[in-house]
Amino acid sequence: MSITDALVMATFTIPEKIGTDPQSMLWLLPLVAAIAVVYKATKLPEIKAANFLKEAVILSGSIVVFMFVTALILYAIARLVIE
Amino acid sequence: MTEPRSKENHTIFLLTVGLLAWLIPGAGHLMIKENKRAIIISVTIILTFCAGLYVGSIGIINPSGAKPWYVAQIMNSPIVAALGYLAKTGDYSVFGKPNEIGQIYTSIAGLLNLLCIVNAVYLAHLCKIEAAGDSKCP
Repeated sequence: MSITDALVMATFTIPEKIGTDPQSMLWLLPLVAAIAVVYKATKLPEIKAANFLKEAVILSGSIVVFMFVTALILYAIARLVIE
Repeated sequence: MTEPRSKENHTIFLLTVGLLAWLIPGAGHLMIKENKRAIIISVTIILTFCAGLYVGSIGIINPSGAKPWYVAQIMNSPIVAALGYLAKTGDYSVFGKPNEIGQIYTSIAGLLNLLCIVNAVYLAHLCKIEAAGDSKCP
């Protein structure tokens, strides 16, 4: 096995170090983009680069905004319950 | 103009499209000549799955300890079963946040592929309805 092969294998056999800090929530963003891209690829009647990108970005943004609003509401409820 | 398929041939065609879409993400769309969709689906699902494996290692594929996640992960491709076997035989234990993020990424990739399998079969079924017209289906 060459060094390159060993490095590639090691990449997928050793987990990354990810903390439990708020920054780890940013792992959400690529996943949201993937969901939006695949969903739009199945739903649009015709795939044209500009329109497809626009639709995927709008959907990604909508999901992020909706999750942010949900988090704010849950945070407000938690504060009300605690106080 | 394409000849309309018989009912039996059409069922076999739909099954082939579904099976291909499961074997390789995007292959079902490729078979019905939806090339742009196929490329987008294939690249996105494979990248999402690989990102999950990169974050959590192959230890996140756990057929016995994390069955519900495994069910979603295997929707990616049958290759996941081989990875699961490999992870079971070796020592690839993973815990905490990397395990969580890796499982979410690979499982979402699997569920997205399930959506694409259903979509490919549906589009293939539409081919029969449009077969009399100028359909671009095979």
